[in-house]
Amino acid sequence: MRIVIAEDSAVVRAGLAEILWDHGHNVVAAVGNGDDLRAAVSEHHPDVAVVDVRMPPSYTDEGLRAAIAIRRDHPKTGVLVFSQYIETRYAADLLGGASGGGAAGVGYLLKDRVADVSEFVEALSRVAAGGTALDPEVITQLLGASRRPDALDSLTARERDVLALMAEGRSNGAIAGILVVSERAVEKHIANIFSKLGLPPSDADHRRVLAVLRYLGA
Amino acid sequence: MPALTNDARPTQPWIINLLVRPSAYRHPRAWGAACVAAGTWILFLGVILISFGFWWGAALIAVSALELWIAYRLLIAPLPQRVRELEQSRARVVDDSAARLRRIERDLHDGAQAQMVAVAMKLGLARERLSSAVAGTKQPDLERVLELIVAAHSGAKEAITELRDLARGIHPPVLDDGLGTALRSLAAGRDVPVELVVDVPDRPSAAIETIAYFCAAELLTNIAKHSGARHATLEAVNMAGLLRVRVTDDGVGGAHVESSGGLAGLADRVGTVDGKLHISSPSGGPTVVDVELPFHV
Repeated sequence: MRIVIAEDSAVVRAGLAEILWDHGHNVVAAVGNGDDLRAAVSEHHPDVAVVDVRMPPSYTDEGLRAAIAIRRDHPKTGVLVFSQYIETRYAADLLGGASGGGAAGVGYLLKDRVADVSEFVEALSRVAAGGTALDPEVITQLLGASRRPDALDSLTARERDVLALMAEGRSNGAIAGILVVSERAVEKHIANIFSKLGLPPSDADHRRVLAVLRYLGA
Repeated sequence: MPALTNDARPTQPWIINLLVRPSAYRHPRAWGAACVAAGTWILFLGVILISFGFWWGAALIAVSALELWIAYRLLIAPLPQRVRELEQSRARVVDDSAARLRRIERDLHDGAQAQMVAVAMKLGLARERLSSAVAGTKQPDLERVLELIVAAHSGAKEAITELRDLARGIHPPVLDDGLGTALRSLAAGRDVPVELVVDVPDRPSAAIETIAYFCAAELLTNIAKHSGARHATLEAVNMAGLLRVRVTDDGVGGAHVESSGGLAGLADRVGTVDGKLHISSPSGGPTVVDVELPFHV
């Protein structure tokens, strides 16, 4: 993968680059603010950009706004936003109409997730390939604040686990691996969830994520 | 530009200035109460005299009216002004604490938190290498693993230092042992030698000690940064019921309050407890900064 990193903290930036090089990826640029990020993406057309939300000069949501602009101007570049706090609104902004493109090639993770190196790199690959990676924390918050708790109650515990993993952007194979069940079983759970929640069935992973998130009210 | 001296003294008519100055300035409430008591008794006496047919009792009523008017000027008239001042100082306290919290959050976010993320990343990489070596899927690259762990280790130590500095900035533990001890540790080990005089037999409120400490710290830092002084004194004494912290230096002088500068911040902070900050810093020096604080909030 060809990757651009935007992160204002030098130690975190260096650490990220180290991890990615270590896993055989090519960090083509590492920058410290939103404007430089946009310039770097225009110049290098990377497969994916890793973007910190809070960067100079405003230290508010610079990175998020740059990420949304990149999704609009460079739809082929995946964007993985990561930050030290989870704000459900940020996830909604990223996935929402403002950036077009729905949930394809978007990720939103807590910075802590970087510590589980291989999972982080896998999430990044997913985003680069046009998939989705949402932090479990986002999903927990969405499930907790869902406008339709009754319908969620109708799901079995196992179905809720599958729903959460599906919303994170995992494929059937990955969900099967995490829950230690067969892929067939996962497909059956998903069919049940979609019919219980009245969602239209869909094959592509990122469409499925979007359907679930819409349902949860993101 | 914030007011440097926040006097609560109302402007009084000349007659009161003449009669009771300066004591009424310092103790307006005591004088006001005395006037109320005296005025009431004289009024009572006057009414009794008149009711017994002594018409000159009316003169006493006139005197009592004067007394009550003075009491009004001392007790009631200053209230709106006082309320305004309290509102302003409360707004400053709220702004000050919000700004402090923001600064702490920023320091944590940019400092220890980022440092710990980097540490976790390095340990994550090291762990990956070791597990694949243990599982036998890869040759163990022990040198690389050691390098990662050494980097993580020093990162963790840096994070500890940053957290300690941050915690000390929020509340210096040395203040628990009293202002004198805290100021002594502040004055020690400065580039510019600091002569210390502390005469504060009773302990002020914790909030007052904290403000005094941070004022002294900021002023000493200013001396090191800007004054070019060769000698400084730090004095904390109990003066007529006030805690006075005086910092002097023999540097170049010319210190003044700039809006949003360090001294303006100090003046604001001192103002939150009705204290005062005076600066005397003629060009060429010496610089004398006085901070007067009430003993209790």
